[in-house]
Amino acid sequence: MLDRMITHSAFLELVDELAGKRRIIGPVARGERFFYEEVERAGALDLAFNYCVYGPRAFLFPPTETLFTFQQIEGRFAAEAVVEDRPTALVGVHPCDINAIRLLDRVFEKDHPDEHYLSRRRNTLIIGLDCPRPCTDGIFCSDMKTNEATEGFDVMLFPLGAVQEVGASGKGGGGDPQAGPSVRADEPPAAPSQYGVVFGTPTGREWLLYSHKSTVPTAADERALEQYHRSKAAAFRRAIKTPSEDLPALLDRSYDSLLWEATARRCYSCGSCNLSCPTCYCFNIYDELDMTLAAGERKREWDGCQLPKFAEVAGPHNFRAKAASRLRHRIYRKAKWVREQTDLPGCVGCARCDRACTAKISSVEIYNQLAEEA
Amino acid sequence: MSKPKIAIFSLTSCEGCSLAILELEDQLLDILGAVDIVNFREGMTERSWDIDIGFVDGAVSTPTDIEEVEHFRQSSKMLVAIGACACTGGINTLKNYQDETDCRRYVYGEKFEWFPTIPAQPLSNFVKVDAELPGCPMVKEEFLEFVKCALAGKQFRLPENAVCVECKKKDNLCLYEKGIICLGPVTRAGCAAICPSYGSKCEGCRGLVSDEALAAAGVNLREQYDVALEDVLADFRLFGAYQGSELP
Amino acid sequence: MAMTTQATPPTAGGSLYIPTPARIRAIEDLTEFERLFELEFLDGHPLGHDPGQFVQVSVLGIGECPISICSSPTRQETFELCIRRVGNVTNHLHTLEPGAIVGIRGPLGHGFDVSEMHGKDVLIVAGGLGLAPVRSLIQYILDERSRFGRFDLLYGAREPKEILFKDDLTEWRESADVDFHVTVDRPDEQWRGKSGVVTTLFKGLPKLDPAETMVVIVGPPIMFKFVVLEVLARRIPQHSIYCSLERRMKCGIGKCGHCQANNVYVCMDGPVFKYGRLKAMREALE
Repeated sequence: MLDRMITHSAFLELVDELAGKRRIIGPVARGERFFYEEVERAGALDLAFNYCVYGPRAFLFPPTETLFTFQQIEGRFAAEAVVEDRPTALVGVHPCDINAIRLLDRVFEKDHPDEHYLSRRRNTLIIGLDCPRPCTDGIFCSDMKTNEATEGFDVMLFPLGAVQEVGASGKGGGGDPQAGPSVRADEPPAAPSQYGVVFGTPTGREWLLYSHKSTVPTAADERALEQYHRSKAAAFRRAIKTPSEDLPALLDRSYDSLLWEATARRCYSCGSCNLSCPTCYCFNIYDELDMTLAAGERKREWDGCQLPKFAEVAGPHNFRAKAASRLRHRIYRKAKWVREQTDLPGCVGCARCDRACTAKISSVEIYNQLAEEA
Repeated sequence: MSKPKIAIFSLTSCEGCSLAILELEDQLLDILGAVDIVNFREGMTERSWDIDIGFVDGAVSTPTDIEEVEHFRQSSKMLVAIGACACTGGINTLKNYQDETDCRRYVYGEKFEWFPTIPAQPLSNFVKVDAELPGCPMVKEEFLEFVKCALAGKQFRLPENAVCVECKKKDNLCLYEKGIICLGPVTRAGCAAICPSYGSKCEGCRGLVSDEALAAAGVNLREQYDVALEDVLADFRLFGAYQGSELP
Repeated sequence: MAMTTQATPPTAGGSLYIPTPARIRAIEDLTEFERLFELEFLDGHPLGHDPGQFVQVSVLGIGECPISICSSPTRQETFELCIRRVGNVTNHLHTLEPGAIVGIRGPLGHGFDVSEMHGKDVLIVAGGLGLAPVRSLIQYILDERSRFGRFDLLYGAREPKEILFKDDLTEWRESADVDFHVTVDRPDEQWRGKSGVVTTLFKGLPKLDPAETMVVIVGPPIMFKFVVLEVLARRIPQHSIYCSLERRMKCGIGKCGHCQANNVYVCMDGPVFKYGRLKAMREALE
């Protein structure tokens, strides 16, 4: 069910108005690829993007941030928290990344709420943009059931105009499920002419409705949405032979597989998979002193379980000294453990890990090879 | 506590790493307030040989260099190699792959016999080195961090991750996506991925991050990429990061 | 005690990561590498921990590291930490004098469920530095002695010079409240006690009642395995065996990922686990 309809140009006007109140982050073309960047005007956004090289994680959980500053005064210390609350809007977030943000929300809220993340999150408006078809080759979001988002956004846009255009030009995403996505990977879809809008939160509803730029959906719009969902369902193909709900059981049978070590021979342990992953949230904490040595900052930075020293304790002893055990750890986290801990998917199938891997280690391939062994 | 006495020496190098210290303009006065620089050819004329921390840039590539580095070692409680030349031999090691006489004749002309030379090597091949601050040039922020750690009594540790970590944190597009073979996955981080950030491939000036990463490179470059291994090996050798005759 | 206006415990809008200042009251050398630190919060509040929990100790500017609490909550005004110097933070702690202020976050994690041990016989087996985390439980049992049945304590160290808490050991040896035995793997010339690995002490134990005995095993993984064998052979059920794990920890509150062993965040679910749970965590004992 649609809440409203809005044209592409009216939407951009709305975002321009929003730019007066919030920092606007959205997809921007840099060469042939798209990245989430801060923009001054909505016109700088490219909402016809296929995918962004990295998810918008960095705007909620930055690569490096100060947790608190401290000063030593006469043998005692005084500390002051650094908590950011800058109003922000993430515009054009695909369902995979919205699902990833839901996981980060859950992790940082859980047990000991982490204000550094939660304050940024509370002050961030998320405007989702649904994907009518696969954004590129190699993704497996439909396997993870994360190519749709049911919550985690304030407003979700369905590019209904785009679907009609794509269908009309015969570029794929059409009714024939056997045809599959015939669009060339990496080719950006046509710019949508209008969006069907679904509200996710009262904040989203309030924002979209205050300006009267949107219209009430008609019966034809609702039919267009149904058609959109049908053609979307046909466009996304499964890549992993095992249904995601059966992956934990598959992994349970595969702990001692030789595949971990065989695959890890190619692994550089460079951590690119972790660092490009929208659901990775592990971090390191360290201190930085200024030259007086009496004041400084305690900071945190992105860390990754594939990095060689991640599980090393003073002594030293490394609980996962081998690349094979680290690789197994990552795959278990993504397909089994994170879900067990949070009830949310630990992997959103965006395949950024696979694309980032210069050794061409593919998680899809790992799951399928394990399925063959089992 | 009295201020630590610091010296900065140069062997076979462009002395760019010593200059990098002078380029720490904003922090230089703070450093000078916290330490006494007692021996620094690039920055002063006085000389003292009672040294707490001796920083050395440059490779050992002549018989005189050997004598000098031994003298630096004896005079310094702590000896720190700074820059690629001192840590891995650096760009000087390129001559190690050429005919020695031809090489000398090319550089020194007719008088080449007056200039004896040995294969260029890192300091650690001759003396005990307490710490290394690699890179071409040395990363000046890392030097500053090292000095702060020394003053705070904290053990300095080089980053033990690959350059890829810093590239990803900087939101860079991986050069492999542009078909460029970059040494980021095998090279020690700490440079803020400066070369890839400006579109140039990493050439490994900070040295190999681990033997395991090098072994993975051997497998991947042979089997995953259609590249001339000779060219890749030339990149590995540019700063002396790896001096083997073939990839493992 | 005078209240201070220094760093306050975390509040809404603040940071969970800011430690609370605590003063070092006393320092005692235990071995060449381990020192015992007695601490008190500047605002006088008790730590309020369970035996087996840990704290994050900060030296601001140097860093933070997890340390298990080695005193019992029954001794409230202060708390004790046994600290081995192995890294930047612990090296720095060893340079501090009484009166110095450090930062504390905690207590963190899950400790021993002492209520489950009430009315039962207790056997504690500790190896090496593993004596530190169980000392909180030992003190607790001794302070609340009437609530427990038989109490046996076995301790193994590699060498006599590595033996921790020598004053306590003397007290325990003489106490009628605990049947205590110690052994070393490699005795020196002065050593008059038993020698051999800690499992050799099992020969001197009375018959254990499987239904009425709780067993606590804390030590390096290799020791843990052999002790578990001894205990299982005496028909002690898996849910009656406890152990405590060591892992790298940064946040201590279940987020940073460093302490994860298989599907478990040691800092949140542990560091104390029952063997029944632990055996499913393959990495825990590797």
